[in-house]
Amino acid sequence: MNAYTNKRLGIGAGSLLLLVCLICIFPMFWMILISLKSKALTYDPSVWFFSPTLENFKTVFENRDAVGYLKNSAIVVVLTTIVSIFIGGMAAYGFARFEFKKKENRAFWVLSLRMLPPMASVIPMFVMASLLNVLDTHLVLIVSYMLFNIPFTIWMMRSFFEEIPTALEEAAFVDGASRFRVFLTIILPLAVPGLIATAIFCIINSWNEFVFALFLTSAHASTLPTTVTLFLSVSGVAWGEMSAVGVVTILPVLVFAMIVQRYMIRGLTFGGVK
Amino acid sequence: MVRKYFHSRPHLAYILPAFLILGLLTFIPTLFLYGLSLTNYELGYDSFKFVGLDNFVRLLSGRDEEFWYSLRISIVFMVLVTAAELLLGFGLAVLLDREFRLKPLAFACLIVPIAMTPSITGQIWKLMLNAENGVVNYLLHFMGGKVIWLSPEHAFLSTMMVDVWQNTPFVALIIYAGMRSLPTEPYEAAAIDGANRVQTFRFVTLPLLLPVILLAIVFRAIDSLKTFDIPYSLTQGGPGSSTEFLSMHVYRLGFAQTGWIGRSAAVSVILLMLITVISWVLIRAYRKGVENRG
Repeated sequence: MNAYTNKRLGIGAGSLLLLVCLICIFPMFWMILISLKSKALTYDPSVWFFSPTLENFKTVFENRDAVGYLKNSAIVVVLTTIVSIFIGGMAAYGFARFEFKKKENRAFWVLSLRMLPPMASVIPMFVMASLLNVLDTHLVLIVSYMLFNIPFTIWMMRSFFEEIPTALEEAAFVDGASRFRVFLTIILPLAVPGLIATAIFCIINSWNEFVFALFLTSAHASTLPTTVTLFLSVSGVAWGEMSAVGVVTILPVLVFAMIVQRYMIRGLTFGGVK
Repeated sequence: MVRKYFHSRPHLAYILPAFLILGLLTFIPTLFLYGLSLTNYELGYDSFKFVGLDNFVRLLSGRDEEFWYSLRISIVFMVLVTAAELLLGFGLAVLLDREFRLKPLAFACLIVPIAMTPSITGQIWKLMLNAENGVVNYLLHFMGGKVIWLSPEHAFLSTMMVDVWQNTPFVALIIYAGMRSLPTEPYEAAAIDGANRVQTFRFVTLPLLLPVILLAIVFRAIDSLKTFDIPYSLTQGGPGSSTEFLSMHVYRLGFAQTGWIGRSAAVSVILLMLITVISWVLIRAYRKGVENRG
C-alpha cells in the first residue's frame, strides 16, 4: 500500500537478502553438523561432508542425563504456561471489556514488568527460596516464570479480545446469560487462535529462560538452557556433546516458532504492533 | 460489604488473581532486595549485620573501579548494539518490503535467531569463534585473515556481534510491520508536491515510522542493558573482566567468584534504578511519538 509496494527484488538486493538468510541459519546448521560428526572430525572445520553418526546424541542421553533436563523443561514450561494463560487471560478480559479507574496506569504497570532485570529479582528470590526450602524444585521455576508470562498474556490476549465485536456478548446478555458464562461460552471459543498463539509464546519464552533456572536450580530441576554450565571448563570441552545438547534444546522452540510465525511481530512487541 | 464492593467493581474479579500474583512476585522480592543491599550478608555464613548505606557509598564514591568499569561497558554496549541493530534492521526491512516469491522462506530464516535459546546461541558462537578450530576463522583464512575473536581486545566486539546476530531480525520484523501499515495519502500528497525520493523518505516515511522505530529502541536498549545469557555462555565475562557487564558483575560478585550477596544486591539495585530511568525516558518519548503521529 505504500511507495515501495510494487517494487520487485532486484539481483543485487536479492543476493544481499540471500546472504542475510544464510548468516541467520548458519549457526544452527553448523551446530547440527558438529553434533553429527565423530570425535575425530569435531575439531576440523574444513570437513563439511562426512558420514553422520548419532554417537554424540547417545552420549548426551546416556551420560549427561539429557532426558532429565528435557523432562524438567517440559514440566516447568507446561505448568507455568497453563496457569499463566488462565490467570492472565482472565485479567486480559477484564482490561478489554471493563472501564475502571486508572485502567491504563494499571495496564502500564503490568507492561513495565517486562522491563525488570531478572538479575534484580533473582537474588531475593534465591534467598527467599532457600528460606522456604523450595530451591531446586519445579515449583520455584513455575512460579517465577509467571513473572514474565502473566504480563505477556495480559497484553497479548487483551489485543485479541478487543478484536472480538462486543455485539456478540450483548446479544447473549439480552438472553439473560451472566458475564462469566458469556466469557466462557462465547468469548473464549472465539479467542482460541489467540490463546494458542499466546500459549506458544509463553512456551518459547519459558523454554529459553536462563537466569532464573541458573540461580534457582542445581541438580533436580535444572532445565535445558542450563546445560551450558556443563561445558564451561576450557580443558576437555566436548564440542560434539555441546552441539548435540544444543540441538535438543533449540529444535522444539524452532518448531513452535514456525507455528506462530504469523503472530511473530505481535508476540515480540507484547501485542503492540500487529 | 465485600459483596457490594465487588458488585460495584465487576472488573476486579477478573484482574485480581493476576494482580495478586504479580504483586507478590514483585513487591516482596524488591523489598527483600533493598533489605539485602543494606547488609553484609555473605553466602554460606549464617550471621550478617545491617551496614546501612555502606554498600552504596562504596559503589558511588568511585573507589570500586570494577563496578564503574562494568557500568561503563554496559552503557557502551547498550548504545552500540541498539544503534547497529537499528541500522541493519532498517536496511533489512527495506529489503523485505519488496515483492518476491520466496518471502515466507526468508521469514522462516529470520525467525531462527529470534527463537534460538540465548544461552545456546552464546555456546555455539563460542565454538564457531574458536581461534584454531572455529569455522569463522576457517572461512576467513580463504581471504587471508585470522582474528582471535575471544581475546581480551576482541571479546567485547565479538559479544556485540553475537547480540547483533540474534536480535537484528527482531528489529527488522518490527520495522517491516510498520512499513506495511503506512498509509498511502501522504505519499500521493508528496508526489503532487513534487518531492523527490530522498525528501519523501526524510519527510514522510521517517516521521510515520517513528513510533515503531522508538518501540524497537525501547525493547533493544533495555534488553541489551540487562544482557546476561550470551556473555555467560560465550565469554563468562572474560577474558579478565573485558565483557563483565552489570548483570555478569552481579553474578560474579554474589555467586561465582565471591559470595558477597549484600554487595551484589546493591549493584542490582543500581541496575534496577538505571533501567527504570532509561525505560521511563524511552517510553515517554515513544508515547509522544505516537501522539504526534495521530
